Amino acid sequence: MKRGVVLLVVLCFLLTGATALSSSPNELVVYHWWTAGGEKEAIDVLFEVFIDEHPEYSIVQNPVAGGGGGILRAQIKTMIMAGNPPDTFQITYGHGMISSFVSVLQPIDDLIEGYNIPEDVYEWGRVDGVMYGVPLNLMQNNCLWYNVDLVEELGIEMPIKSIDEFLGICARVKAEGYIPLAVGAGMGQQFWLGTLFEAVNSALPGGGADFFNDYYAGKTIPSESEVFAETLKVLRTLLVNGFINDDYSALTWDQGSDLMATGKAVFYVMGDWAKGHFTSMNMVPKVDFGYQPFPGTDDVFIGHADCFVLPIGVDRKIAKDWIQFLTTVKAANTFCPIKGAAPFVLDAPLDVYDDITKEILGYFRDDGVVKVLSQFGAPPESYLDVFGTAFSEFFNTPEINDNTLGNFDYAYAEVFLF
Amino acid sequence: MSKRVQILLFILPGLLLVGLFVYGFTAWTLQVSFTNWRDVGSAGDFVGLDNYIRLFSTDRVFKASLVNTLKLTLVFIGVTIPLGLFLAVLLDLNLKGRQIFRLIFLLPLSFSFVASASMWTWMFSPQIGSINTLLRAIGLGSLAQPWITSDKQALFCIAIAYVWQFSGFSTLVYYAGISGVAPEISEAAKIDGASTLQRYMKVIIPMQRPATLTVLMILLMYSLRVFDLVWLMTGGGPGSSSEILSTFMFRTAFNRNRFGYGASVGIVMFVISILIVIPFFTRLRRSEYE
Repeated sequence: MKRGVVLLVVLCFLLTGATALSSSPNELVVYHWWTAGGEKEAIDVLFEVFIDEHPEYSIVQNPVAGGGGGILRAQIKTMIMAGNPPDTFQITYGHGMISSFVSVLQPIDDLIEGYNIPEDVYEWGRVDGVMYGVPLNLMQNNCLWYNVDLVEELGIEMPIKSIDEFLGICARVKAEGYIPLAVGAGMGQQFWLGTLFEAVNSALPGGGADFFNDYYAGKTIPSESEVFAETLKVLRTLLVNGFINDDYSALTWDQGSDLMATGKAVFYVMGDWAKGHFTSMNMVPKVDFGYQPFPGTDDVFIGHADCFVLPIGVDRKIAKDWIQFLTTVKAANTFCPIKGAAPFVLDAPLDVYDDITKEILGYFRDDGVVKVLSQFGAPPESYLDVFGTAFSEFFNTPEINDNTLGNFDYAYAEVFLF
Repeated sequence: MSKRVQILLFILPGLLLVGLFVYGFTAWTLQVSFTNWRDVGSAGDFVGLDNYIRLFSTDRVFKASLVNTLKLTLVFIGVTIPLGLFLAVLLDLNLKGRQIFRLIFLLPLSFSFVASASMWTWMFSPQIGSINTLLRAIGLGSLAQPWITSDKQALFCIAIAYVWQFSGFSTLVYYAGISGVAPEISEAAKIDGASTLQRYMKVIIPMQRPATLTVLMILLMYSLRVFDLVWLMTGGGPGSSSEILSTFMFRTAFNRNRFGYGASVGIVMFVISILIVIPFFTRLRRSEYE
């Protein structure tokens, strides 16, 4: 009998399992993907300022490496499905991306009431008229970065005004023994090829907003679009002439940017978060590196934002305080300057921003510049992965024929029809 | 309390956990594979065999992944087993420096896959990688390859990394098997005039069938579900050239939100594993009784 009791006690202990570890009321569990230079420092300081305002709170941050957040989103999904969502997490801001999560998110309209941002920005993120994410930082995607020393050494006149001029300069740069255009889209980050596609497309007649508004809404079959094929032709020109580093598929985005930063490449196309990476390497804007909108796209602003959301089931004051804190000028002007991004808040003083950010913000606030929501926000989430693969196949075999276009049609159907 | 009940009480927690986390979730995955679940928040509707029909009829990437998985398995096993046997024989030969080489052969086993992937990615980098740098340094720059950036070589590069990581395991098992051969048998062969090579070829290696079966089983089971090195080195690229079933399943479910469809890929992987592994188990058990 005694032995039986002991056995039962052992059994109970074994079956007890791990008790659910819920965070304390004063601990904010945050998931984000800001781990690269510039962005990591920015989010750390933002957390510090939040804690300064709310000394009773503490932060449990879970940074998940991987530019673009693909790995983080995968992790978040498993947590949500297991009924254990974090208090808040980061996703890219835009109706397409948010739609992919909307069934597990809470509306936050009442929490961000009075957030002084342009109406366009609200529209970017609304799903069926409802706000689910608070956009924190404005990002421009169609940026051309260049190494100032190399541009001066090669006598390249900046800004470059058209795609044809750019291709001509690339040929000159190549002849001088430098990589004309650095690209890093490897190790699962093939979606950066989509960023280059957006920039090139926007420089072509019929591209930009005219193309992307329908394309990202599932209304443009790639093989039936003339400008889609024209974009591929330009990309093919870059590839077959050796204007792009041939190890692009072995480099991450920041390793790609390092080619430009270290003087191996002259140009680099990437969103303005690259600026934060450059400054974290002690490079000075307009001294060591320069910026212009991708040639031929100074009338187009391809942008998106990062935002934080509240999962369904999270009803904690601390999480709501965090969301409300992100709508303040203090939050914007703490985070954005370090990350290299621009603030959305219309009344944010701009003296803390460098000249390049002010220039980017100038484009964004210019009514003559058309705003286009990027691949990170406009289409459904699956676009990034499906088209990342499709672009990667094209970059690998840059032929434009029925088979290539068929591959893109197949990918398009996968995103919008399957 | 009878002994049987006591034993049952002790194994019950393990049984419950295995039942829930292995068989329970396999059954749940099977159920999900018959649905069109494609959203984080909802479970989807029953669609019968639609996912499987699509997989085997129109899905190009699935077919490529299946072929790549089989290719990777063949290269991985086809190289790791003979290499392990060869290294085990070398260790058994009492050559000079045997201790240090045993350590060198087993070292890759202690590496995490993330560390291995980082190391091999860097080595295979066409511009700054150590392999091409070395080739250029010794005047063989014409032999430099694009490695993981080529759709024709990426899978081969991954296979090399897996072979490197697992050859130590294969060596270990064979070395144990060779060490277990009774010295009298080897001595008898020597007295009969067998050379060292003949002793290994005719006596010792033929006795390594159980070791071969063990290595083959474990490597097969692993190769059908490899994920880490592929994901970390190439992400399945360029294009889908190194996509394998496990990365395709992950991508489908977690990057594209096709949870039902991803589950069907998982079930296909499960069935392939069962079809390959069960005959081996049966054979292994039979050879134990013989």
